Amino acid sequence: MFLPAGSQDQIGQKLDNQAKVNQIFRKVVRNRNFKAIETPVIEYANTFTNEHVGMELRTMLKWFNREGEIEVLRPDWTTAIARALVKQHPAQLKWFYQGSVFRNDKDGTESRQAGIEIIRTDVFLGELESLFTAVTYLKALNSDDYLIELGHTGIFEALLETLELADSEEETLRQAMYDKRKDLVYQIASKTGQEKIAEQLTTLINAYGGKEILTEYRELWSNQPQLVEILDHLNKLIDAMEALGVENVIVDLGKVKELPYYSGTMFRGYLQQNGQTCFSGGCYDKLYEQFNENISAVGLAFDVDVLAESMNATEQKERICILATEETHVQAEQLREDFEDKIVDIQYQLPDNHHYDRIIPVEDATKEKAVDK
Amino acid sequence: MKPCIALTKGRLEKQFLDFFASLSFDIDPLVNKGRKLRVETDDFQFIFAKGPDVTTYVEHGIADLGIVGGDILAEFQPDVYDLFPLPFGQCHMAVATEAGKVWPDQKKKIASKYTGITKEFFRNKGESVEIIKLEGSVELAPILGLADGIVDIVETGTTLKENGLVVQEEFLYFSARCIANRSSLKIKRKQLAPIIEALQQEGALR
Repeated sequence: MFLPAGSQDQIGQKLDNQAKVNQIFRKVVRNRNFKAIETPVIEYANTFTNEHVGMELRTMLKWFNREGEIEVLRPDWTTAIARALVKQHPAQLKWFYQGSVFRNDKDGTESRQAGIEIIRTDVFLGELESLFTAVTYLKALNSDDYLIELGHTGIFEALLETLELADSEEETLRQAMYDKRKDLVYQIASKTGQEKIAEQLTTLINAYGGKEILTEYRELWSNQPQLVEILDHLNKLIDAMEALGVENVIVDLGKVKELPYYSGTMFRGYLQQNGQTCFSGGCYDKLYEQFNENISAVGLAFDVDVLAESMNATEQKERICILATEETHVQAEQLREDFEDKIVDIQYQLPDNHHYDRIIPVEDATKEKAVDK
Repeated sequence: MKPCIALTKGRLEKQFLDFFASLSFDIDPLVNKGRKLRVETDDFQFIFAKGPDVTTYVEHGIADLGIVGGDILAEFQPDVYDLFPLPFGQCHMAVATEAGKVWPDQKKKIASKYTGITKEFFRNKGESVEIIKLEGSVELAPILGLADGIVDIVETGTTLKENGLVVQEEFLYFSARCIANRSSLKIKRKQLAPIIEALQQEGALR
């Protein structure tokens, strides 16, 4: 039987790795006082497509319910959790989730995530807690070959504001910036007659790299206090991470928000070995505005599939085969306790092409046990 | 590992190599590659593929950079950095029909290899059309009566003329472009910076 494009069976090692990635995540975040939350897999499309969230319906797996409303498979955790948390007791500030999201515009329809949300918390505290959680978690996974990238929505948005473009043009410019498409960025921006801003935006496309970028732009923007404040904020985050021994941090000042609800610092973690994104997130206070709540919110989501794939094969345990018969099966079962932490299989007959490390006839093992006693 | 650059085979390949040579890069291994689809030079690894496949290799991070026509990017909209135009491969899209063609009263039938671009173009005009997807030799469609007109890429216009077709409307002007994988650009910044700088000519943006 054939599977739909994007769907796949998960087997063996891959599942073991996923379980391990999830298990370690749970341990790390529980120890940092995060509380578990899970929203349902099925929700109304409107939760994700309304103007405050702005996700595209075409990317979702959807259908009409009996009342003719559109329902979807959870396309995003953060939005669903915001909906749920508005009703929760405000004292709990730190939340975590583990589960799948579904999109039909990606290679795989289903992707597994594990993430954290911190609400009603000082921005810097929340951001640093998110980043430190990421660092601790990646360390617990023995994954030290990663890069953390920081960006900030405020830089592009501040420059954009001065251009006073129509909404549709704003969106085209934002997309061009997202694609680092220099010629189009310059073309749109310079049409407004503001040559200086057009130049600034075009240069901003190349403003990615190490911490030195912040120093460079601090000089360049010295007469724009709003932008300097953002640079100092990013610098403070990097300093804190460096003090903790995290050296591999880069910035991209030309980064733009991918969803309308992002506002403030944006994070992304790359695995250096294959360039895959292992986590992403940031600030999204605006998400709560739809509920008329003025709540600070920050968080990030790990890509469980990417992390599981990057894990080394789990340590192989010794595989033992106890050869028994119908009569000695119970005896063989009782022997299991002698082989704690090993893989033990009971067989009546040794299979062809077996992969056991050791084969023990039940009589021998019983004898040995008797001698030991 | 050396940075990997995906090149579009065929017409763009030759134009790219001429351009690359003009920047004083050694192109001998690329010219004398025979039928090999993968060539390693002192500094880079090159792979040769069809335009849409170049975008796929770059999107998946197999190639770090790609050289591809703007038409392919507009049609397939891959999730890559679409960095800057290159000074070759200029072309544009055009709606063409047989000379003297009178559009029918009902929905027009348009044949094209570029169904995405065609749909977007007519949608922006507020006009519904029936699009027939062809893989090549699109000029045949109006002549044989498969479609009322075509949307195709035009460089010199010779093919259209020789097949008795005339341009009704021109839109979307393209050139070859340099694209990059979203992660590679950041992770391999130091390795990629020199070649990106070399390919990108100041002033080409304006």
